[in-house]
Order: sequence, then C-alpha cells, then structure tokens
Amino acid sequence: MFISFGRSITSAFQDIGRNLSLSVMTILILILMLLSVNTLLLIRFLTNQATRSITDQIDVSIYFTPTATDEQIAEVKKYISAFPEVTEVIRYSRAEVLAQFQTQYEGNPAITASLQELGDNPLGPTMVVKTRSAKDYQKIITALAVPEYEKIVVAKTFTDTAKAIDRIHIITTQVERFSVVLTALFAIIAFLIIFNTIRVAIYTQRTEISIKKLVGATNWFIRGPYFIESLIFTIISVSLTALLVFFAARFLDPYVAVVFGQSAILTNHVISNIVWLIGIQFGAVLLLTIFSSALAMRRHLRV
Amino acid sequence: MITLKGVTKQYSSDSLGLHDVHVHIEPGEFVSVVGASGSGKTTLVKLLIAEERPTTGRISIGGWDITDIPQRDIPLLRRQIGVIFQDFKLLAKKTVRENVAFALQVAGEPRARIRAIVPKVLDIVGLGHKLDRYPHQLSGGEQQRVVIARALVHRPKILVGDEPTGNLDAINTQEIIEILKKINEFGTTILLVTHNREVVNQLRQRVITIHNGKIIADEKEGKYRL
Repeated sequence: MFISFGRSITSAFQDIGRNLSLSVMTILILILMLLSVNTLLLIRFLTNQATRSITDQIDVSIYFTPTATDEQIAEVKKYISAFPEVTEVIRYSRAEVLAQFQTQYEGNPAITASLQELGDNPLGPTMVVKTRSAKDYQKIITALAVPEYEKIVVAKTFTDTAKAIDRIHIITTQVERFSVVLTALFAIIAFLIIFNTIRVAIYTQRTEISIKKLVGATNWFIRGPYFIESLIFTIISVSLTALLVFFAARFLDPYVAVVFGQSAILTNHVISNIVWLIGIQFGAVLLLTIFSSALAMRRHLRV
Repeated sequence: MITLKGVTKQYSSDSLGLHDVHVHIEPGEFVSVVGASGSGKTTLVKLLIAEERPTTGRISIGGWDITDIPQRDIPLLRRQIGVIFQDFKLLAKKTVRENVAFALQVAGEPRARIRAIVPKVLDIVGLGHKLDRYPHQLSGGEQQRVVIARALVHRPKILVGDEPTGNLDAINTQEIIEILKKINEFGTTILLVTHNREVVNQLRQRVITIHNGKIIADEKEGKYRL
C-alpha cells in the first residue's frame, strides 16, 4: 500500500516535469484566483476596520451654559447614563473646556487676544456621550430636547458620519462584486486548465497506461498519480499565495497605518487568521482540482 | 485451466466477435489458435484478460469464473495471465531492466524483490547481458523477449501470445517459439494466437481454428488448415 502510494507520488512528479509549462500555467492561474479571493477578504476586513474606526470617532457633545450648576449637570448625566444605548459619559468642567480650547487655538493670536479681553472664562461645561452604535446618537439628541434642559444646554452636536459609512459601503460593495466576478473567472480558467493538463498527461502517457493495465496495475495505481498531481498543484499554489499575501500585507501596512493610525494592521490580521485562511482556501482549491481531474479522467481515461 | 462455455461476443448488431464458443484447455497445454484476420482470435484474448466481457456464456480460469469479474479484481487476473503482443508495448524511455521491473512496480512489489527477480527472468529469455539497453537498441526478437520476460515476472499460470511473431523475421520467430516451448516445459499453459503456418505446423501441438467467430476445428495434434 505504502509502496504503491510512494510510486504514485513519484509518478505524479514525473508527470508534472513532463508537462512543465502546463503545470506552471495551472499553478499560476490558481495563484491568481487565490489572490483575487484574498483581495476580497482583505477589502472586507479593511471596510469593517474603517467603519469601526469612524464609528469610534463619533460622539454627542452637549454644551452647557456657563451658569449651569454642578447639580444640574449631574442630573443630566444621570438621565443620559440611564439609556441602555449609552456606553460612556464624560464630563468636562469649565476650566477643562477652556484649557482644551486654548490648546486647540494655541497658534491663533486673534482668539488668544479675544479670550484675554473677555477676562472671565466664557465657556460652559461640556459633556461627551458615546453610544453603542451610530444610529443611537439621534435618540440622545431627541431625549435632551425637553424644556427643563433647554435652559441649561446651549448646543447638542454630533458629527454626521452615516453618509461617510454609506459611501464606504457603496465603494467596497462595488470592489467586492468585481473581485467575486474575477474570482469566478479565474476558477473557471483554472478548472479548464487543470482539465486540459490531465487530459494532455493521459494522452502523452497512453502507451504507459495501456501497459500498466496489461501488467495488472490497480485503478489507484493508474488514477492515483493524477489525483496526487492535483494535490501538488493545490499545495504549491496555496503556499505561494500565502507567502505573497503576507508580503503584500507587509508592503501595504505603512499605507494602511496612515488611515487607521495603527501599525502592521494587515500583517497582524493575516497572521492571526492564517490557519483559517489557508485551511479554507486549501479545501476549496483541492475540491476544484480534484473535481476537474476526476472529470478529465472520466472522459479520457478508461481503466 | 481455461474453460469457455457457449461464449458469444456481439460488439454491435452487425459485428460479431465470437459465436457460441466451447473450449476447455488443460493446465500445461500449448494451444495454437489460428484464423484469418477478423475471425475472432483477438476477441478471445480480450475476453481472457477481461478487456471485454462476453455477451452470453461463461468463462473460467483456474476455477475462477471471470464472466462478471468486478473491476477491482481485474488487476489480480492480469497478474495471473502474461500477455505478449505483436507490437511489443515497451516503454521507449525505460531500459530493458526498467521495462521488466515496471510490471512488478505496478503490483506494489518491494524494491529489493524487484532487484532480485528481474535479472533472473531476463536470464531465462537470454537477455541477462543487455539489462541497461533501451528498446531501440534491440532487435525485434530481443524486444519481444523483453516482453516475454515482463509477462513472466508475475510467474503467471497462463501465457497468452497475440501474434507475438507477427513483426519478426524467420530467425527471430524461431527464437521466440523456442522460448515459449521452454516456458511451457516448466508447466505454464501457453495460448498462442497466430496465423503463421510454419510455426503452427512445426509445433505439432493442439490447434484451434476459428472462422467468422466460430470454432471450426479443434485438433489434439493439429496443423494450419486455412
């Protein structure tokens, strides 16, 4: 059993060597197909990251009048914190707000001069509210629109990022669709090339196959090398793709870091999902190659 | 050893291979099967190695009914029947040694056993000194001897030759027949399909004559009668 298996492996490598150009072409197409799949996966990952990053930056800012008392502000904080959608409420005193303002406009002499002219701190306390999702912010704004709070609240704002998120989704959906079409196209080409590679191998070895049958070779001994060939194509293409994706991730990381403010975000994602990524792709490519080889053998190899 | 009972092979409505053939061959016999081209001789060989299945009738070899032999058992059958053809069927890129070893490799024999058996079998057919030659470096007779060696490595109980001397000159034909006689003397049943009159007449063994798919003569010590 093991001897036959070993000889089938040797025979598979000989077949690949004999039809080297076709074998290389098959592996290249499989790599292209896998690269488009990986592009799809990385785009999806980056889209999620972008959406999360934008969502994290959203908050509702409540600006109070300078005359608002600590009790009044504490009551508003208690009221807001009671909403299940609210995850965090941060309160900034008048002094803290002024300090932030001064830091922000440090290089602006007109604003600094204006503040000095006013003498007293003209800014009221501020409260920053974070919620579980972006769609909850409008609810908080509406909840604060009651007469008793209207007197102490000067303004309620939140950055409307819903449009930005929608735009990201529209762009990524288009890119994903293109990647899916490209993947399907490469899968079809890969199927046809593998089919042809096995067909050519069967044709060039028809004498050898007939002799194998004549001297009592088992079905496995005749068909096995072609299945092993498919396995070799799969292992080589998946391994090379994994390497290419890893190096592509490392190359793209500095550019992605500019947007997300984190280093090695793609590389870390690839490394932490490597088993899943390779496993799924290996399984899918193996199915594709085995299926096309089996079909080629069924049509062209009579055992 | 070989029994055919009422075997008919119909390829299509207007193509008949064999018709109601009854044959029994004892172990150790040397039987010549003669007939014109298209008479059904090759169909008989194909039925014996399960390359074709009979339309009706039953075939058994050594008590094993191979009429409806399952696909998985065909390799076992073929290791028990050595077959030699007119066109040799040797692998051009393999040496004499490798061509013979190939038959053992496909059967999953260990390398050490292959190394031990191959030179011995090639000695039997007189090619022990040409182990590393390629087929194109051999004469037709020598190539056929390699084929015989390859057929013998499994120690088959039956050796079937389908026109094995068809491509050979008189001298090489004689050499091959001598080797077949020698193999037969060791107890192997030989079934020689041929239309070489001289060979059949010289053998003075059993002769089965086929015409249009039917056996028209079966003589214990026969002659070529077509």
